[in-house]
Amino acid sequence: MGGNRMNRIRAPQDALGGLFLVAMGAIALWQGAGLSAGTLGQIGPGMLPRALAAVTLLSGLGLFAGSFFALGGGLERWHLRGPVCVLGAAVLFGLTVRPLGLTVAAPLALLVAALASRETRWIEAAVFAVALTAFCLGLFKYALGLPIPVAPWLIGY
Amino acid sequence: MGELAGNLALGFATALSWQNLALCFTGAMVGTLIGVLPGVGPIATIAMLLPLTFKADPTGALIMLAGIYYGAQYGGSTTAILVNIPGEATSVITTLDGHQMARHGRAGVALGTAAIASFVAGSIATVVIAALGVPLTKLALLFGPAEYFSLMAMGLAFATVLARGSVYKAVAMIVVGLLLATVGTDLETGEDRLTFGLQDLSDGIDFAVLAMGLFGFAEVLRNLENPETRDVVKGAIGRLLPSRADLKQSLMPVLRGTGLGAMLGILPGNGAVLGPFASYAVEKKLARKPERFGRGAIEGVAGPEAANNAGAQTAFIPLLTLGIPPNAVMALMVGAMTIHGIIPGPQVITKRPDLFWGMVASMWIGNLMLLVINLPLVGLWVRLLKVPYRLMFPAILVFCCIGIYSINNNPADVMFTAFFGLAGYALYKFGFEPAPLLLGFVLGRLMEEKLRQALVLSRGSFLTFVERPVSAGLLLVAVVVIVVAVLPAVRKGREQAFQE
Repeated sequence: MGGNRMNRIRAPQDALGGLFLVAMGAIALWQGAGLSAGTLGQIGPGMLPRALAAVTLLSGLGLFAGSFFALGGGLERWHLRGPVCVLGAAVLFGLTVRPLGLTVAAPLALLVAALASRETRWIEAAVFAVALTAFCLGLFKYALGLPIPVAPWLIGY
Repeated sequence: MGELAGNLALGFATALSWQNLALCFTGAMVGTLIGVLPGVGPIATIAMLLPLTFKADPTGALIMLAGIYYGAQYGGSTTAILVNIPGEATSVITTLDGHQMARHGRAGVALGTAAIASFVAGSIATVVIAALGVPLTKLALLFGPAEYFSLMAMGLAFATVLARGSVYKAVAMIVVGLLLATVGTDLETGEDRLTFGLQDLSDGIDFAVLAMGLFGFAEVLRNLENPETRDVVKGAIGRLLPSRADLKQSLMPVLRGTGLGAMLGILPGNGAVLGPFASYAVEKKLARKPERFGRGAIEGVAGPEAANNAGAQTAFIPLLTLGIPPNAVMALMVGAMTIHGIIPGPQVITKRPDLFWGMVASMWIGNLMLLVINLPLVGLWVRLLKVPYRLMFPAILVFCCIGIYSINNNPADVMFTAFFGLAGYALYKFGFEPAPLLLGFVLGRLMEEKLRQALVLSRGSFLTFVERPVSAGLLLVAVVVIVVAVLPAVRKGREQAFQE
């Protein structure tokens, strides 16, 4: 019974969070491995990144270890739909804004993001996408003169 | 005194040009417009609206940005009162009594009191900035790298204490922030560090990208998961101007709130967050009938709102005099200043007095404009608050994307923002607060630079940080703050304070 209790994670949220930090520290250590640390009198490019990565890793280990002893928060439910649609919309915007311009990127991002919510009404969303794109073009391109492509495939800029 | 008057005169001459007035007005207006949207705090608002300032000259751009900032702050308070959703940490307190007042049909008075309290606090804070600007700049010139490093270390110590949740996790987040700040080209050798071979990372991670990902995008994801409980006040807003009795009741809370907020705002490490909490606690303690608090006490709106605005403004002091941004919003200001070729620090006040004093003067003008803009436009904000989230969040996303793209005209930035949005979502699920991470990131590069300089000067001896008296004093404060925060008694009090 006693041994069993030692093996049980009592704060799953902290355990996963700790592993997250460990992973981050390890990746940074791996990336910074080739940098010279220098000496304390003349610190090189590698000293701080490696030291901070090590501290990150150790603090993650500490958090993980602590999760066996102190009671803590349970795991939160992770959702897929929201992050995939919203962040996917941003990525699509980044991919399309240069080659296809704002006239494609903005409504595309808006409609893909709208997939994230179950409450979306599609006709409303489509009308809103057109209106918002027109507004953004007017504001950012024509009123403020930002160098954002409009529709290179149609009008050349 | 004469010097101060002369400086302020120069400032008002700059800020009162038609162009700068127009920029200040536009900034305050669009800042409120975006800031009113539930779930959009000042950080996301400023990052989103940064491109609006690109066309103006540096002075005009900063005046406009400051306007956006105050507008966003005030918009957050409006949302807190009318919908019971705090836009950011500092307006949490306003929801307590402000929303109760609104439910009792006194929404207008709550909004009016908030606006007037903010204006009074802003006016006093402007004078504080003007008075402290010159002496602190002189002090800054005496600071060596060791003192700068210790000051920033103290700021980080405050940040851990002021974060919600566990102190251990807050410290871990600061370390992660410092780690992220080392990404990019090394200052001295020009070597790429932790860039994964990506060209886009060799200039380092852009602050706006990180902030927008961790706060803007992650916030949208969080809001999508929580079923909407928007409780927009129904019925009439009522009259806006507080009665004479209301004003009499609010006067002292406003003045006390201003004092508290102004003092806490100067602290590096986001002391401004603490202002409204402190003010609320003080007013509750001083009140003759403390049980009124939480049920629509006007002092519970007036004091914290004054503290909030005073702190928001005095937070400019460390930035303008020492070049150290005390919180994330000020870090965005640094980004905006760099875009216009200004490096914040003690040299600004001597080299560009028109810019420094113009900005100080525009703070006061901006506060006046908020009063003028907001009181008649409350009806519009109420209508805006009724826009359903299903339309609001895709629009927020598109504005964020355009804003981020426009900062460097780089599509890769938008994708990095999405990546940090995912990271922010994960941190939230693991129970980490993103605010300390952001502050660590903000101070990281400057801290590394100063650390390396200090160690070169001392030939590698860490003793330099404790042998120099000012540096030693600052570090001592940092240690005391941390020790006090982990003491069990204080820990309990801190948890309670954040629970409320």
